[in-house]
Amino acid sequence: MTPDETPPEGMTRRSFLRTSTVLATGAAAIAAGLAPLRKIGHYSSVEEFLQKQYKELSPAEMKVVLARIEGEVERQYGIRPHVRDYKPMSGVQFVYALNLSRCVGCRKCVHACVAENNQSRNPEIQYIRVVKLPNDGSFDLESGDVNYTPKSVPEAGFFYMPIQCHQCHNPPCVTVCPVKATWQEADGITVIDYNWCIGCRYCEAACPYFARRFNFATPSIPKEQINPKMSYLGNRPRYKGVMEKCHFCIQRTREGRYPACVEVCPTGSRKFGNILDPDSEVSYILKNKRVFVLKEELGTHPRFFYYFDI
Amino acid sequence: METERKTQVVLAVLTMGFAALAINFVRVPARAGVEKRAPLILPGSLAIVPGTIRVSAAQLVASGGDASGLQCYACHDAKKPPEIRYDANHRVVLPKEHLDLIYGMRNCSECHTPDEGVKIEYNADGVVIIPDAHRNLAHMAHGRYLRNEDCFNCHVSTQLDHLHTPEGLVVGLDQATQLCAGCHGTQYRDWESGAHGRRNGYWKSSAGPTVRQECTSCHDPHAPAFTPLIPMPAPHSLHDPRRNPS
Repeated sequence: MTPDETPPEGMTRRSFLRTSTVLATGAAAIAAGLAPLRKIGHYSSVEEFLQKQYKELSPAEMKVVLARIEGEVERQYGIRPHVRDYKPMSGVQFVYALNLSRCVGCRKCVHACVAENNQSRNPEIQYIRVVKLPNDGSFDLESGDVNYTPKSVPEAGFFYMPIQCHQCHNPPCVTVCPVKATWQEADGITVIDYNWCIGCRYCEAACPYFARRFNFATPSIPKEQINPKMSYLGNRPRYKGVMEKCHFCIQRTREGRYPACVEVCPTGSRKFGNILDPDSEVSYILKNKRVFVLKEELGTHPRFFYYFDI
Repeated sequence: METERKTQVVLAVLTMGFAALAINFVRVPARAGVEKRAPLILPGSLAIVPGTIRVSAAQLVASGGDASGLQCYACHDAKKPPEIRYDANHRVVLPKEHLDLIYGMRNCSECHTPDEGVKIEYNADGVVIIPDAHRNLAHMAHGRYLRNEDCFNCHVSTQLDHLHTPEGLVVGLDQATQLCAGCHGTQYRDWESGAHGRRNGYWKSSAGPTVRQECTSCHDPHAPAFTPLIPMPAPHSLHDPRRNPS
């Protein structure tokens, strides 16, 4: 710049180019830095991103949230669901009992559960694992097989032990959750707020029963197989990157109905009811049958009991 | 000023750029949710689940599924029971899609065709004549060592559709549970309290009816041991070499 030239009031070509280059580079850097976020987030709206934790939602806010979720599901699957927030009944403590003498390992419960609870078909997510164990008295879970595919069941020399969430009284999965996205409800069901879960999978590692499943990919469910009766804490479609697990079919049991796995069991091995009711079938079983819980030594106090017909 | 205008234009362009970036950030994941993939489990294989799955009878037949755990009202609405049709000889016409369904754990169509009809014949004393084919021990498997193969241990000899209990009471077929209880007391006790057998509907009686399945809903009284079932598909493990040969 020669001394006789007056300095420009606004911007020279040089400073303009420099500023815009800096700005463009900065914008590109910010975009590149934010790019991974586009892949991990499932947020379809600002309201969803800013949603409070389940327990902090007022009834009015919950109404808005449920309506929003109905809209989301309709957009994604093309079917209008009915999403409700089922509350626990007072004076009810759920207990589950499973008759190991009767179970034949047909896996009907596994697939009834998938159909009822809108689990992802691909990748496949199932809450119940049926373990085939040798009937040699060893009761060694390590020697169990979950991939058995014989022509017919039961097979001689084996018994079958379905394992699902035990709805522990002292749940390790709840203790380890760093964001309080999972907790135990008054009726004993351990639930997950799918909108609050950050997908760290600590609970999956903490569970001694392999009851929790992680959505590694966006769940896919064929439209015609969607169960439109949904609950917020239960069977509404899950997002990629969140945990899910058996919730005793909250949308059925909190209405007084049996869970889908109980309904479907062809041998009547599965029993469900209110342990506080002395006349319920589970009360009778706990009083009169030989019952045990899995991995009792861990002190989890499951609400899921196995029993024998002896 | 020329330069000020340029600055404003550049700033406006940048603002629009950021706004577009923000919109893209919010919208893109929602679009990614509907991508299509080939199913790992064929939908047809789910048709063999009774109860909660909604499939047509045609699909049920097409799947070749094991229907031994099936109840009529798993598919039919209990409030609108299906109409039963009769032919000119007052025989029940079986719908074609029901041919593979198993009645009382026993498949009638193993031996009988639906248009053949079955006539019950009586002798001069009014006692039902049991066809020789039904004396076949393969059909009677009640009790160990086949000791309980006499029809009239349970059936009234002059009225096959009535049963007599060990106490001498005559009851209808719909009250067979009373007869079963005569020998299977422990199972009856467990059934009464809900530990044995199926219960459907509502666990909470004030919310709705609890359906107690009777003995003969699950057991064939002539061969009460459960017949083997076809297991549903195993879980798909991505690490299972049998499923992923590559």
